[in-house]
Amino acid sequence: MIAYTIRRVLIAIPTLLIVLTITFVLVRVAPGDPAEVRLGDYATKESVEALRKEMGLDKSMWVQYLETLRGLLRGDFGRSMLNGRPISAEIKRSLPYTLELTLMGILFGAVFGIPTGVYTALKRNTLSDYIGRTLSLGGLSFPTFYLGILLMLTFSIKIAIFPVVGGGDIHNLADNLYHLALPGLTLGLIMTAYVTRMARSSVLNTLNEDYVRTARAKGLTERKVIYKHLLRNSLLAITALIGVYAIVLIGGSVMVEIVFSRPGLGKMMIGALKQRDYTTLQAVMVIFASLVVLINLITDLTYGLIDPRVRYK
Amino acid sequence: MKKMNMILAAVLMLGVLFYLGPPLALGAEGKVLRIALDAADISDLHPHYSHTTQDRGVVHLIFNGLVRYRTGDISKFEPDLAESWEVSEDGLTWTFHLRRGVMVHPWKANPGYELTSEDVVYSFQSAADPARSGCAGEYAGMAFEAPDKYTVRVTLQKPLSETLFLPKVTDYMGGLVIPKKPREELGEAFRTHPVGTGPFIFKKYLPKEKVVTVRNEKFYRGVPKLAGVEVFFMADMSSRKFGLQSKELDVIEGPPSQPWVEEMQALPGVAVDVFGPGEAGVLYFNVTKKPFDDTRVRRAIGYALSRDEVATAIGKAIADPICSEIPPPQPGFLTRAEVELRGRQEGKDYLYDFDRKKARKLLADAGFPEGFTTEFYMTERGEYAVPMQNVVAQLRECGINAKLIVVDHPTYHHNIRADMNTIVLYNCWRASADMKLTHMYLSDSIVVTGKKPISNFTHLGKVDADGDGKVDSIDYLIKAAREMLDAQGQRALWQEAQFKLLDWCVSYPLFIKRFTFARQKYVDWGYDLKSTLILSPQINELTTITK
Repeated sequence: MIAYTIRRVLIAIPTLLIVLTITFVLVRVAPGDPAEVRLGDYATKESVEALRKEMGLDKSMWVQYLETLRGLLRGDFGRSMLNGRPISAEIKRSLPYTLELTLMGILFGAVFGIPTGVYTALKRNTLSDYIGRTLSLGGLSFPTFYLGILLMLTFSIKIAIFPVVGGGDIHNLADNLYHLALPGLTLGLIMTAYVTRMARSSVLNTLNEDYVRTARAKGLTERKVIYKHLLRNSLLAITALIGVYAIVLIGGSVMVEIVFSRPGLGKMMIGALKQRDYTTLQAVMVIFASLVVLINLITDLTYGLIDPRVRYK
Repeated sequence: MKKMNMILAAVLMLGVLFYLGPPLALGAEGKVLRIALDAADISDLHPHYSHTTQDRGVVHLIFNGLVRYRTGDISKFEPDLAESWEVSEDGLTWTFHLRRGVMVHPWKANPGYELTSEDVVYSFQSAADPARSGCAGEYAGMAFEAPDKYTVRVTLQKPLSETLFLPKVTDYMGGLVIPKKPREELGEAFRTHPVGTGPFIFKKYLPKEKVVTVRNEKFYRGVPKLAGVEVFFMADMSSRKFGLQSKELDVIEGPPSQPWVEEMQALPGVAVDVFGPGEAGVLYFNVTKKPFDDTRVRRAIGYALSRDEVATAIGKAIADPICSEIPPPQPGFLTRAEVELRGRQEGKDYLYDFDRKKARKLLADAGFPEGFTTEFYMTERGEYAVPMQNVVAQLRECGINAKLIVVDHPTYHHNIRADMNTIVLYNCWRASADMKLTHMYLSDSIVVTGKKPISNFTHLGKVDADGDGKVDSIDYLIKAAREMLDAQGQRALWQEAQFKLLDWCVSYPLFIKRFTFARQKYVDWGYDLKSTLILSPQINELTTITK
């Protein structure tokens, strides 16, 4: 398993390199210049040129690319072109807000989505099943930002119990959870919709398996059939799909961070994009790509824990 | 038993969330003012680089100029760091006498110190250096010296009128004084850790979230009434509105939108401020590109457009139609009556009031009886897109099919400066008529090909604007006005330059759009808010929370 993990990590390196290269080229090909954006309308041509030089934009693309790579190998993302702050420090501050939001969404989705999916599958074509399917379809159709605004309107304005502004103090658990509740619920509800549908589908597939019929035929209680045979076997597919949707969730977290003004990676990325902060944008994209790779790896490794038949080679 | 434990744990967790939540939100209802601006983050808190509204909103709390625009009314100047000043008879030397006892804010382990002429000279030298400033062009050719501890002398190469010189030393961009020691000690960090002399002291910056300031107990105009100011960066309009409704925020920036103003006014306990100076929205025609090289086509567009309709599309409470490049109340602006009278005297029409028959006739005369199609870039930002969509709809009525290629805002600015548009809508406010005319019409400022390209999108100064076969320019009027020391004569020259522009119709002034902010009624600015240069309400030592 350790060798497998190491191999997967090594395979991730070219993936990250491709992401970095594409981002590096795209941001530079897009019209707009960080020096122009930073200096504004009053700037003289000399000021813009001086700043371009200071930012290293006067060098050829190849030199800039190699310098970026060299920095990354040393674990240094460089400095923001906008305000000169070290990007690593900004990521260190922003990443926890994005991670906790995504984790909250996954957790919420798993805790509420799996039981609902299993229940609706077992009650197939009954009223409960129809209600569950309709609700999950509704959840899938809801844009993240719209759901966030609706929740905000309900739980911050009509019933004023949760805050609207900011991500709270990351070092203060209560304050942090308090600020995380609504954004987490927004992503969580979307994730619940995804998980419910795939759990239902997975359980329905497993229900028709021979070993389920055999288990029932040999006289096991329905409870044992569900927990020992049906659920355990369905979980493999559910886990794989949770991994896939977790990646979708990271994308969704960008909008949630904007709507709830959370100082996470999504907000960092949008700000960098608007102001053509090349270095920050590259770094954030690499971090997002790393998260995707990491989630995939965790999903793969989880298979082994759920299904002893899985062997890592 | 297990089930019971789980239920108990869930109830406890919810209890923690609900019980600990509200008091934290209520804590913000003290004397700290919380204002949310429409931005994802700051750009730069070094005042000589701070050109965005969010940067200025913070910078203005922390820094001062030798002179200041009267708080809430930019039509008047007042002494600030300088107690008084005088100008030599030849208009070349300005001498400022500094206020004594102005303390520079403490930073890191340093307790602060008294601001002297050494700091002021350092600051202006820095502002004039293209490698250290985003507004160096404004200070080109100026020399700064400190004859004694409390005197600053500025020597110019050519004399400037008070109207043109004082804005350079006021509380705006290069005029904001950065103290020498903290600037040199902090280096690059100064950009996110500003140290000045203003009513509020920088405390901390939480990237993408907020800047926190606390009151300056040693402020030379008296101790500020607020304990501090927190400036939040919230790019989402709904979140800002909800933040105001939930009273987590005291003041929020609004969009230039009539429905938003009305919605905010309907909220209990909320007041809306609509203030100037406002940005003038002007259409600039690229005279190098066909068919805009034909004066008749440009005039036809003028007649095809109803300024009232464009202003109404933006919002009656927010925008007014204008008929001169320099917007009121800036020295040099033209009233409608003045434009009308001059036209009548010269047998011309400088107003180009809405008249589709005239528009169609001019198009037919120019060889476009069925109209024509043009395509240009447009930013996605509402303050541009809303009026432009109205313009496009009106043009279509006269057969002009204007196709918009919508791009993000930085791309739009890049493309129009790369001379890629046939028509440019540009919303801006400039510190003086000289600056506006220089940026938009001086031949040196022509985009791409000018000696110092800025934003002359029309190419005036290198093109024949009236069809007589000769190159037309207003360079001589701009330069003559710049050197004129008599205020009245200077205004007359700026007005003359604008009559030329109206005659040639190289641009078409559309509207002046003011700024909108909503606040809790318990926020008292401490002054009458008519206009402010930072484009957001000024928060100073008089601002208070009255509940």
